[in-house]
Amino acid sequence: MPLDTSTYSLALLRLDGRRWNELRRLTAQISTQASADGSSFLSMGNTKVICTVTGPSEVKAAPGASGRGDEAVVSVEISVAGFSGVERKRRGKGDKRIYEMQTTIATAFQATLFTHLYPRSTITISLHILSLDGSLLATCLNASTLALIDAGVPMRDYICATTAGSTSSYSSNDEKADPLLDLNGSEELELPFLTVATCGTEDEVSVLVMETRVQVGRLEGMLAVGVDGCKQVRDILDVVVRARGKRILEGSQL
Amino acid sequence: MSSTLSNNAMTSLKRSLAADPFASNISSKVYVRSTKSGKVQKIVRELYLRQDIPCSSKLCTSCLKTAPRDASGVLAPLVLSAKPAGTKKYKQGHYLVPDTNALLNALDLFEQTAAFYDVIILQTVLEELRNRSLPLYNRLIGLTKSEEKRFYVFFNDFRLETYVVRDPGESINDRNDRAVRRAVKWYGEHLTEAVKAAGGNSKSVPAVVMLSDDKENLTKAKRDGIDATSLKEYVGGLENADQLLDMISVVKEGRELRDARSAEALYAEYFSVSKMMTGVKNGTLHQGIFNVSPYNYLEGSIKVPAFDKSLIVLGRENINRAVHGDVVVVEVLPKDQWKEPSTKIIEEESMNRDENADADEGEAVVTEKERKALQEEVKKMHSKSSEGKPQPTAKVVGVVKRNWRQYVGHVDESSVSQSAKENRKQQTVFLIPMDKKIPKIRVRTRQAGEIIGKRVLVTIDSWDRDSRHPVGHFVRSLGDLETKGAETEALLLEYDVQYRPFPKAVLDCLPAEGHDWIVPPSTDDPGWKDRKDLRHLDICSIDPIGCQDIDDALHARPLPNGNFEVGVHIADVSHFVKPNNAMDAEASIRGTTVYLVDKRIDMLPMLLGTDLCSLKPYVERYAFSAIWEITPDAEIVKSDFTKSVIKSREAFSYEAAQIRVDDETQQDELTTNIRILLMLSKKFKQKRMDAGALSLSSPEVRVEMESETSDPIDVKTKKHLATMSLVEEFMLLANTSVAAKIYEAFPQTAMLRRHGAPPKTNFEELANQLKVKRGCELKVSSSKELADSLDACVDPQEPFFNTLVRVMATRCMMSAEYFCSGTQAYPEFRHYGLASEIYTHFTSPIRRYADLVAHRQLAAAINYEALHPAVRSKGKLEAVCKNINVRHRNAQQAGRASIEYYVGQALKGRIVEEEGFVMKIFSNGFVVFVPRFGIESLIRLRDLADPEPESVFDAENYVLRTSGNREVEVELFEKVVVRISDVLEEKTGKRKVKLELVGKGSK
Repeated sequence: MPLDTSTYSLALLRLDGRRWNELRRLTAQISTQASADGSSFLSMGNTKVICTVTGPSEVKAAPGASGRGDEAVVSVEISVAGFSGVERKRRGKGDKRIYEMQTTIATAFQATLFTHLYPRSTITISLHILSLDGSLLATCLNASTLALIDAGVPMRDYICATTAGSTSSYSSNDEKADPLLDLNGSEELELPFLTVATCGTEDEVSVLVMETRVQVGRLEGMLAVGVDGCKQVRDILDVVVRARGKRILEGSQL
Repeated sequence: MSSTLSNNAMTSLKRSLAADPFASNISSKVYVRSTKSGKVQKIVRELYLRQDIPCSSKLCTSCLKTAPRDASGVLAPLVLSAKPAGTKKYKQGHYLVPDTNALLNALDLFEQTAAFYDVIILQTVLEELRNRSLPLYNRLIGLTKSEEKRFYVFFNDFRLETYVVRDPGESINDRNDRAVRRAVKWYGEHLTEAVKAAGGNSKSVPAVVMLSDDKENLTKAKRDGIDATSLKEYVGGLENADQLLDMISVVKEGRELRDARSAEALYAEYFSVSKMMTGVKNGTLHQGIFNVSPYNYLEGSIKVPAFDKSLIVLGRENINRAVHGDVVVVEVLPKDQWKEPSTKIIEEESMNRDENADADEGEAVVTEKERKALQEEVKKMHSKSSEGKPQPTAKVVGVVKRNWRQYVGHVDESSVSQSAKENRKQQTVFLIPMDKKIPKIRVRTRQAGEIIGKRVLVTIDSWDRDSRHPVGHFVRSLGDLETKGAETEALLLEYDVQYRPFPKAVLDCLPAEGHDWIVPPSTDDPGWKDRKDLRHLDICSIDPIGCQDIDDALHARPLPNGNFEVGVHIADVSHFVKPNNAMDAEASIRGTTVYLVDKRIDMLPMLLGTDLCSLKPYVERYAFSAIWEITPDAEIVKSDFTKSVIKSREAFSYEAAQIRVDDETQQDELTTNIRILLMLSKKFKQKRMDAGALSLSSPEVRVEMESETSDPIDVKTKKHLATMSLVEEFMLLANTSVAAKIYEAFPQTAMLRRHGAPPKTNFEELANQLKVKRGCELKVSSSKELADSLDACVDPQEPFFNTLVRVMATRCMMSAEYFCSGTQAYPEFRHYGLASEIYTHFTSPIRRYADLVAHRQLAAAINYEALHPAVRSKGKLEAVCKNINVRHRNAQQAGRASIEYYVGQALKGRIVEEEGFVMKIFSNGFVVFVPRFGIESLIRLRDLADPEPESVFDAENYVLRTSGNREVEVELFEKVVVRISDVLEEKTGKRKVKLELVGKGSK
């Protein structure tokens, strides 16, 4: 069994050999499934997500379902593969955490997409989680951004997300604690962390979720590191999108 | 590398992994682990390999450029000295790189101040050590934090050059050894380059020396051209080699010797971990803590959750290398091997005194004598009528966790060869631990001659199948036997009492004013915020004579409506000890103040304990007050808690207060108030008794010392005064009210104290004894019934009999414990002994850490201050509870052991005849309790006459009859007269009282 997070202070190295301000390897592909309106595959470290976007399409015959006729409704479906975690486990539809993530993602994009252009329609984002190793919400948000761009849904700017944590747990009383960027699964288990997403380059926070407890004094540092991480993610996504655009322009792939 | 890692732009979208610019830097670690439930899991972890992990040598400048900074931009300091110490072999100086075995075997060595500086601890080694032994890992982490020792942790598995991939078919140990060698090699090359770059002489490059006890690893290292040496060889080259050599654990060496001889195994092999776990899970095996009987070292018992009664483990083979306190797994033996618990006293010393420590050949697990002793047992068993109920027995099949600690003991002089006393030849000796429950330990040493007659500290290293006794090594000597210093230190070590002076960091937390600190005169001072001014009240404290750390003070006054106002004022320690500073951490580790006969080991520094917090008379002090309105019938109308400032009018001793109360002419305010308190306390006590509170008894004596030399001169039994129960009642009241209050405020995290109801089986033996001998019936279904039936156990001729029964009943009880309210259901909160639904400790924050926690929680409950997160986290509190429970028990035992020692010293050279009572009876001896000195001691048959008289033991009626050269009949609870003298007990090296039977009846 490897060491735990308490060894960070010995050499300022995290469990997987990263420094405090380093992202994991982030790889992204766009247009991975020709059949979907928009699709992407994104991995942050060992967290891997496939995203497909359907729509905007007409609201199906269930008038009571959504009351908004003047703009498109974003709906999110997340499915977690049974083999994604360490133990093979089936997750039912009723999982509250998944439900909450769906709502968080839907709300974030509802505000960023130009939904008023598509009245009486829905945009469905389906996320398939293939592998789980921390920063799940952030990975899902990033994958959705790419897939939505691929689908050609107009939006204000990229939504880019990361997690940020602190090297010291809530109850242990280390005076010094470094903020950490992009936590992996085992760090998330031991340390307090938040997920932050920004929209655009102007540090505009569009999602902020924190479920663990942390001393208030450490929050600012964590946020700063998280927002900075979002910028790094944006740069990487931008390269992917531009490369795709270039290829379309060249007509090599349509 | 670090900076490029995240910013590097992706150029290609669809690329194979090989084209990934990071591919060479990212590796993943895949390993398989099995969970508690037996499932196998495959874990995948990423590894980011990098080149900016510094070597941390002050010789190197290149690493400095890329050295990491933390979030605030602070550079980690370099650790390893530029001019490390040299030895004979490595004159140019050297850095040490120990492998895991070296640390496992000899961490004591690394903690020495004489040598072992500039040590590189590899990540590989650290990880392995953590898996093998958490205590050692923690000690090592402590070492890496010490500045003067210069231990540096090098994360070799994260550095590109030193990362080693496990080859197919390679064992994990071989891979780790290879990783260590690779790191050592890299260090060597790196340093050479660094020195060259700085323009230094290549001869002055320090050697990087791998320390290992693994032969194969050493050979491979030589092949790779790395400096490597075994621990022994290395230490042999140091200046104070002799001293240090002893500290090397003998495990490795011994094994090599044995391998050559292919010794046969004496004990059964332990089950594999998975076999034990599956067994425990499906109920065929049982896990529990192994306890050794204090009277018979070959009999152990183990309490397992599956059965009400403990399982008995009899004989060396069944005990199978378990040591008192280990967590073991046992298998129940077939019914034909069930036995009654032994009725015989068997002491290791008298059984195997002629054993040779060095001899291994032809050694059997069970010596002939031991075997004979057991046979007799069985014979007795079989000859008896079917009445004797055999109990289930079990054998140990594996050890889950060793609870070995450092043991205090002395060298068995007979195991030391004469010639070795003069020369420094290495030899094996037996070390006899002070704790009789621990088997003797085989130790190899060169200093046998010097440590004879000394108190020494040893640790157990291992207990192999082919060794009859555990093997250990000598740590240090505490001083001559029977000197006050050595014995006190031995006691403190044995009970793990933290007795070192408070470190500077702790003293820095004290108020800067020192003894001149006073309550701020102006009530506008922040210290007065939310504090009630109670200086006008007539408050006084009542404590034992000479008490300096006064925790509590009381007041009472009549109210106009006929009720009384009663206040309990407790020292406001939480004002001075803030959560989470060094002082708080130290106090939480110490857990309690330990009172020895001649010494007090404080939980808090003296300045606080005996001055600033102590509610001394005539001065103003901060306090935490609980104030009640109580009717004359002792009903509580209203209670209130507040921080306050008080001024105690007088500090009474129990005796002085008693005299004052009894003296009718004293009619001043203070005395009448004490009378009110006394009146109320009696009513409270009656109420408690009616609710079923137990009045238990344990023999308490006080040792009187000569004031100047502090040599013990006499032993007195403690007298009980009404003023004592006065204080006790109000402290109980305060504790109970506070418990209810903090539980209401923090249902999940309140610090409480519970006392579990003892299982019925605990009383079975005592109940049977009372029934057979005295015809009394002991009812145990509730505390009320128990209290009543204890009251009924009287012998009109012998007033002490009732106390004796209470003493024995006390030993059947469970021990009370601290807990965090979220961990138990409400009905489990009950304090059995006090018959109270909820209870905590609040009234002695100077000497108990639990009280301090309760203070903080109460302060938060009354909105005085916000609760610190550390006191609010359940996990943290549980850890605190666990620690203080252990500390509390140890402190009690240390206190008792100290009294025992001093009683022995007080009786030194004297011979007294006293009355005693037979408390326990065996087939070859009996235990006599002497109330006058609070001692109990064993009288063996062979002490009665020489040769040992023949005896018949009637176990059903608890009667032992001897015949032959001395005819006596002894029965349980009988009053006897014994002659008390002192004798130096060879087994434990303690001076102990020895009892001889003089006659029966009164003196």
